Amino acid sequence: MKWVRIKAFIVAYIKALFRDKASVFWIIVWPLLILLMTAYIFIPPSFGNPVTLNLGVVNNDVESMSPFNGTSFVVMLKEFEYNGTKLFEVKLYGNESMLINELRRGKLDAGIVIPEGFGEEVILGQAYLKVYISGESVYDFQVNKAMLGEFMRQLSVHIALEKLRMTMKYVMKWVPENVTIRTSHGVMSLRELIWRYMLGMVLPINASVKEVAPKAVVDRPYLLGWFSLGAIGMMLLYSGFSIGATTIVEEKEEGRLYRILSTPVTEIEMLIGKTIGGLVVLAISSLIIVVAAIMLLHAKVEWNPLRLVDWLVPLHLLLISIMTISIGLMISLIAKTTKGASNLATVLGLVLAFITGIWFPREWMPKSLRILADIFPITWSVDVMRDIMVKRAMLHEVMIPTVKCVFITIGIFTIGIMLYRKMIRKYVEM
Amino acid sequence: MVYVIEVSNVWKRYGDKEALKGVSIRVGEGEVVSLLGPNGAGKTTLISIIVGILKPTKGIVKVGGMDPKDPNARSIIGFCPQESALNGDLTGRENMLFYARLHGLDGVRAKRRINELLEKVGLLGDADRLVRRYSGGMKRRLSLAIALIHDPKILVLDEPTLGMDPGMRRRVWDIVKEARDKGKSVLLATHYMEEADELSDRVYIVHEGRVLIEGNPQQLKEEYGPPSVIEIELYKSPSELGENIRKVVGSNVMIDECLLRVHSKSPDEDVPKIISQIYNLGGDVKSLRVTKPTLEDVFLRLTGRRLRE
Repeated sequence: MKWVRIKAFIVAYIKALFRDKASVFWIIVWPLLILLMTAYIFIPPSFGNPVTLNLGVVNNDVESMSPFNGTSFVVMLKEFEYNGTKLFEVKLYGNESMLINELRRGKLDAGIVIPEGFGEEVILGQAYLKVYISGESVYDFQVNKAMLGEFMRQLSVHIALEKLRMTMKYVMKWVPENVTIRTSHGVMSLRELIWRYMLGMVLPINASVKEVAPKAVVDRPYLLGWFSLGAIGMMLLYSGFSIGATTIVEEKEEGRLYRILSTPVTEIEMLIGKTIGGLVVLAISSLIIVVAAIMLLHAKVEWNPLRLVDWLVPLHLLLISIMTISIGLMISLIAKTTKGASNLATVLGLVLAFITGIWFPREWMPKSLRILADIFPITWSVDVMRDIMVKRAMLHEVMIPTVKCVFITIGIFTIGIMLYRKMIRKYVEM
Repeated sequence: MVYVIEVSNVWKRYGDKEALKGVSIRVGEGEVVSLLGPNGAGKTTLISIIVGILKPTKGIVKVGGMDPKDPNARSIIGFCPQESALNGDLTGRENMLFYARLHGLDGVRAKRRINELLEKVGLLGDADRLVRRYSGGMKRRLSLAIALIHDPKILVLDEPTLGMDPGMRRRVWDIVKEARDKGKSVLLATHYMEEADELSDRVYIVHEGRVLIEGNPQQLKEEYGPPSVIEIELYKSPSELGENIRKVVGSNVMIDECLLRVHSKSPDEDVPKIISQIYNLGGDVKSLRVTKPTLEDVFLRLTGRRLRE
């Protein structure tokens, strides 16, 4: 085996590929394009900020003498804030049918009808409210419902506590101050016991709910980092398939195979040269995608050469590339022409990227497709890269999938070489 | 003589079709040997076996005393296939460097050799243009230069001047002659009889997978060609002229648009008969001459068919 012959294929492959506009589009432009679209459509710069709901209100309780009437309820809605952002943009309507009409036209996210006597009912019994939520899209419906539901829950608790305070203010006058009672918690004054008991009736469980989600899920830069690696995975998938699928077919179709094999070069030197050429191209385009994602989109992707585990990232890039090129060699058995091989490889690569958790998160996919993602080794490799570069996983967390990927790559590559030799022998009588 | 290519009783079958039927040829050191025959005669199949791309169904092939599949045998051959087989996304120079590297040549030595050959085939000025922008003739010349890149001992050229204009064809012939002068052996497959005539020390006439005859062009023309050929240039060629003249003179007749060629044993007797037939059929003679036979005439005489049918 002579290096100079392998070098011939590497140099020729890289030069020819970067001169072909269609190839440049697929290996660099398309992944960046889909990443940009995702960054500005699905994860816009406002991602993570509270949403403001367009809320229509019909207030039929204007004249109530209660301190908590319809008018004060509307003021409360207008002033309600979360993290410094007003949650409701309130617009008043004269009657219920006008409100429903506006909801149907998509002008409002939700509507509330405050009935007459609402204020009295809040004080004396249980107040009734009519709430409409826009069902324009499933996603919006869920968000609007959750926001209004949470608001109503918090408001109910607030009112209940106010009512309890007011009630207890009068009740306590009739309870002696120095009477104590022995309880399982120790000795307690009667007043404290009554207060605690009544509070428990109003609010039996005071749950403290706090969101603790990985940064990679909630922060835009981390999410963009996650998708950047998905874009690389997607590009490696269809480009690798395409490189493998066209390796022999292109040479055969353009009549070069005979001439090449009439020189002292061996079929293995040709395969190694072309595979290394493909790996270099895929590495260059991966680097361009990740740099563009960091520079243009401010995606959070970390790689530290001093951290041992980070060196598994280039290893996984290599493993994915070898796996996809080898699968491409299998595709070349079916394809008859370069165009056919390239189209088949691209379509298959894109479809697999979408259904195996490489581009879309697994959680977004139906359960049946998640099985596919779980058994697809290229997804394992992409996940390891995400775990290292986005979630900063430790070596022991990614060791097992890495070992599995290495063995599977060796297996797939061996099958690829066997099929490649079969392909060569199909065209040339070696 | 030392033979650098030896093909003995080679057969090649593709399914039911026999492409080669017991072909035997030999090419000596410093010799130019042509395989002359029409398209489909089996020339390219034979060449593919010699350069190691195909295996014979039966028979023995030796290149420099080695099996053609041996990488050492391949390294002494410079092969110029019928299809130019170039990478259109590389420049002419890059294509040459690619093949130079496949033959183990790199760096300054390769660059020097590439420039030398590009100049020889008249492509130095276009060396850095992408090959996809080259004309057919330029591609053929580049293809020939690639065959010479590693200064091979044996040149195997499959229709090297196909599609070239006469000026360029002559330039290629000069390159082949220069190779012979340097002691290289050349195996040339062609269906241009002028090419075989001009360049070859020996010619094998191949037809339907068999070698019909073999020998020096002059010797072949003398032994197998007609004594004379009457060549008549017409202003216009009447229909059924060939058939009528064949009846009158009883020998082979070829018509190439307005050029009529008739094989003749006694031109003095045949010329008046032919002229009167032409005028009877409404034709008109522009010029007339009696010439010596060519290899095309030899082929016609042997097969009853023309080389370019």
